[in-house]
Amino acid sequence: MKDRSKLFSQADPYDAAKTEALFVSAVRENCSYAYKHCPEYKTILDAEGFSPQRLQRIEDLAELPVLPTALFKRRRLLSMPRRRLPVVVTSSGTSGHASQIGFAVSDLWAGLMMVLRVCKTRRLLSARPCHYVVFGYQPNRKNRTGASKTAFGVTLFTPALSRTYALRWDKGSYVLDLKAVQQAIVTHSRSRFPLRFMGFPSYAWFLMKQMDAQGVYVKLPKGSKLMLGGGWKQFYTEEVDKPVFYALAKKVLGLEEADIIEFYGAVEHPILYCDCAYHHFHVPIYSRVLIRDVQTLKPVPHETPGLVNLISPMVFATPLLSVMPDDLGVLHDGCPCGLSSPYLEILGRVGLQDIKTCAAGAAELLEQTEVSL
Amino acid sequence: MILANGKRYESAMQDTILSGLAAKLNQTLAKPAPTPELVISAIDKLGRTVEAGAFDAQIDALQLDGAQQYKALAIRLLRRDYLEFKLRTELGADAMPDRYTEPPAGLAPLRVLTRPLGVLLHIAAGNADGLPAFSVAEGLVTGNVNLLKLPQADNGLSLTILEALMDMEPRLADYIYVFDTPSSDLAAIKRMADLSDGIVVWGGETAVAAVRRFAHPGTKLIEWGHRLSFAYLSGPVPDQALADLAEHIITTQQLLCSSCQVIYLDTADMEAVRGFCDRFYPVLEGMALQHQPKTMGAVAALTLRSRTDHLEALLDGRAAKPWHSPLCSLIVREDTALELSPMLGNVLVKPLPSAQIIEVLREKKQYLQTAGLCCRAEDRERLTQLLVRAGVNRITSLKNMSASLPGEAHDGEYPLRRYVRMVNVEPQAQ
Repeated sequence: MKDRSKLFSQADPYDAAKTEALFVSAVRENCSYAYKHCPEYKTILDAEGFSPQRLQRIEDLAELPVLPTALFKRRRLLSMPRRRLPVVVTSSGTSGHASQIGFAVSDLWAGLMMVLRVCKTRRLLSARPCHYVVFGYQPNRKNRTGASKTAFGVTLFTPALSRTYALRWDKGSYVLDLKAVQQAIVTHSRSRFPLRFMGFPSYAWFLMKQMDAQGVYVKLPKGSKLMLGGGWKQFYTEEVDKPVFYALAKKVLGLEEADIIEFYGAVEHPILYCDCAYHHFHVPIYSRVLIRDVQTLKPVPHETPGLVNLISPMVFATPLLSVMPDDLGVLHDGCPCGLSSPYLEILGRVGLQDIKTCAAGAAELLEQTEVSL
Repeated sequence: MILANGKRYESAMQDTILSGLAAKLNQTLAKPAPTPELVISAIDKLGRTVEAGAFDAQIDALQLDGAQQYKALAIRLLRRDYLEFKLRTELGADAMPDRYTEPPAGLAPLRVLTRPLGVLLHIAAGNADGLPAFSVAEGLVTGNVNLLKLPQADNGLSLTILEALMDMEPRLADYIYVFDTPSSDLAAIKRMADLSDGIVVWGGETAVAAVRRFAHPGTKLIEWGHRLSFAYLSGPVPDQALADLAEHIITTQQLLCSSCQVIYLDTADMEAVRGFCDRFYPVLEGMALQHQPKTMGAVAALTLRSRTDHLEALLDGRAAKPWHSPLCSLIVREDTALELSPMLGNVLVKPLPSAQIIEVLREKKQYLQTAGLCCRAEDRERLTQLLVRAGVNRITSLKNMSASLPGEAHDGEYPLRRYVRMVNVEPQAQ
C-alpha cells in the first residue's frame, strides 16, 4: 500500500503527467493485493488471462479487466474479512439490490488525504469558523448511505459553529424541515461568520424557489459557499439550467457563481471530483477515466462518447480498481481554467428511455427494476 | 398547455377554466349533439391530410420504430369507410338511430333514441402515442363532450391531432377540452369528474383504483385496464409459426396488452418443453439480431448486461444459461401460471395440457386478453371454445396477436356502446 500512500499524499491533485508512473505502480500494487486476497477477483483475472504484473505503462490500464458496478450488486466482492472493515457502505439502490462496498481504515485515510488536497486547491479549508446548513440527512447510526457520510464530512472542513439539517431525524424517521433551514439562513445572514451549504442540489433549488416566492432575500456574509453534491445522478444534464440556478442563488442568497462549488463521487468509485471555476469536473491524480466503445469496450479517444470506465487504486478492501457504472460519458480537453487534466461529462444513463407498456403489472415492474433494454 | 373553446391556454389558467366550465358545458348540452356524419367527415378530412404528409415532421420527431406502419395504420383508422364500418358494427345498422320498438300485439311501441352519455372525462395512459386522441375521437363520434386529461408522458401528439381536427370542423371546438393536469392534482381531476357523466380510464390498476375512489358512485366508469396475453401451441408447430411468434415477440418487445408473455405448450412433458426451446431459440435470436437496437444507450446497456452476466456465470463456475443472450431469452418454468414475463425479448415457456386450460386461466380472469393459437386444424374449434370459456376475449393467429383487426371489440366490449345511452320516450296519443 506504499505506492497508494505516496500517490494520495502528492501536493498537487491535478498534476496527472508527473504522477503517471506512480499511478500505474499503485494500481499494480492494489491489483496484486486483490488477486491474492479476493478469490472472485482472481477467478476473473485468470479467466481473462490477465496478470497484475502486466501493469507497467499507463497504456496497460486499458487491459485491466473491467467490472460493471452492477456486479457488485449481485455479488459481495471483498479482499478483506468483513469484520475487519470499519465501514461498509450500501449504495442507494434504486434497483432493489443495493451494492455493499467495504472500506478499510487505510482506505478511509487515503480518502481523507484526497479530500483535504482537493479542497485545499479549491480554497475550501479555512480556520475561520462557519455555520453549516446540510441539505441532507442528519447523521444517525441507522443510515449507512454514502451520501449522508459525505455531507457530514464536509462540515469538518472548517470549525463548525452550528449544523442545521434539512432532513432531521425525528422519532425514528427522517422529516424534511425546510422551514427550519430557511430560518437558519435568515438568522445566519446577520452573523459575522460565513454560512456554508452542503448537499443535494434539488433541495437547494427547492428552498431558493420557496424563498423567492415568499420574497425572502438575504445577503450572506463574505466567504459563504454553496457546496452541492450527492452522487452521479446529479452529474447528468440537469432539469434546471445551471445559469438559472446561479442567477437565483445570487438573487436570493447574494452568492456569486464562484461561491457555488459542486462535488461528485460514487460509492463504487469514491474519488472526489470537484468542479473548477468553469464548473467542469477534472479527473484528479487519484483516478483515470477511460471512455470505451459501447459495443466492443475498446478505449476511444477524447471527445468521443461511450461507456465510462473509472480506474483508481484508492480502495483495498473491495476490488474497485476498474469499474463501469451504467453511464454514458465523454472526456474533454482544454478547459480555460488552466488545469491540464481532462474533464468528464456524463451524458446520461444507458438503456432505452421512456419504455411504454400496457401489459398488466408491467409498469410497476419496470419502475422497480432498472431496465437495461 | 390547455385546450378549451378551440384555443390554447397556459397550464396556470386551469382553475379559471374549470370554474367557468359547468356553465359552458350546460350551454353546449342545450344544443343538439354533433351528428356522426359531422364528426366522421372531419376525421376523414384529417386522415387525408395525414396521408398527404401534413404530420410527417411530428411523426418523425417521435422517432418511433416502424413509424411508417404507424402512419399507415392511422390513415386506415381515420378513413370514412372504416369509421362507418365501426359505427355499424358497434351500434347497429344505422348508427345513433331514432326508432320504435316492435312489441308483441296489444302492447304499445316505445320510441328509442340512441344518445350520447353527455360529458366524458378521458383519463388517458401514456403507453401509446396518440392514444388519448383516439379515445376522444370515439367519444366525439358518439356525440359526447370530451374532457381529456393527458398522461404525464404525453409528447404533444394528441394535442396536435385534436387541434387539427378542430381546424377541419370548427363546430367541434365546444366538444373538445384538453388538460395537462398532473395526476397528483386530484382536486382538479375530481372537479372534472364531477362535471362528467362517464369516466373513461386507461391505465394500470393504480389508475383504475384511484378513479374508483374519487368518482361519484353514480358516474359511469369505462375502464380499459392493462391485460395479459399468451401463445398456445398444440400439436406440431410449423416453422412459419415459430417465425411469426418470434417476430411478434421481438417487434412488440412484449410491452403491449396483446403481447405474448407466456408460451404454453399442450403437454405435461418437460422434455418436450425443453425440446421446443432448442428449436425455437435460434429463431428468436435470429429475429432479435435483425431488430437489434441502434441507439448508443441501448447498445451500451446490452454490452454492460452481457459483461455482467458473463462475469457472474464465471464466478458461479457454470456455463452461461441455455437459451439466453443479452438480446433475448427463453425462461423455462415447470408451473403453469399465466404471469408477466421480464418482457423485452425474454419470454416464459410453460407446459399446459389442454385439460387444465380452464383452471389455470381462471386464476387470471381479470387480466385475460389475447391467445395466439397454433394447433391442428381438427383441434382448432375445440381449443378455441375452451379458451373462450376460460375468459379469453381475443383469439388470433401467432402472427396477428398484436395486429389491429378491423371491427374488433376492445377487451370484450364495443366501446361505442359504452359511450351512449338508450333513451325511451313514450309516444303521446294524437
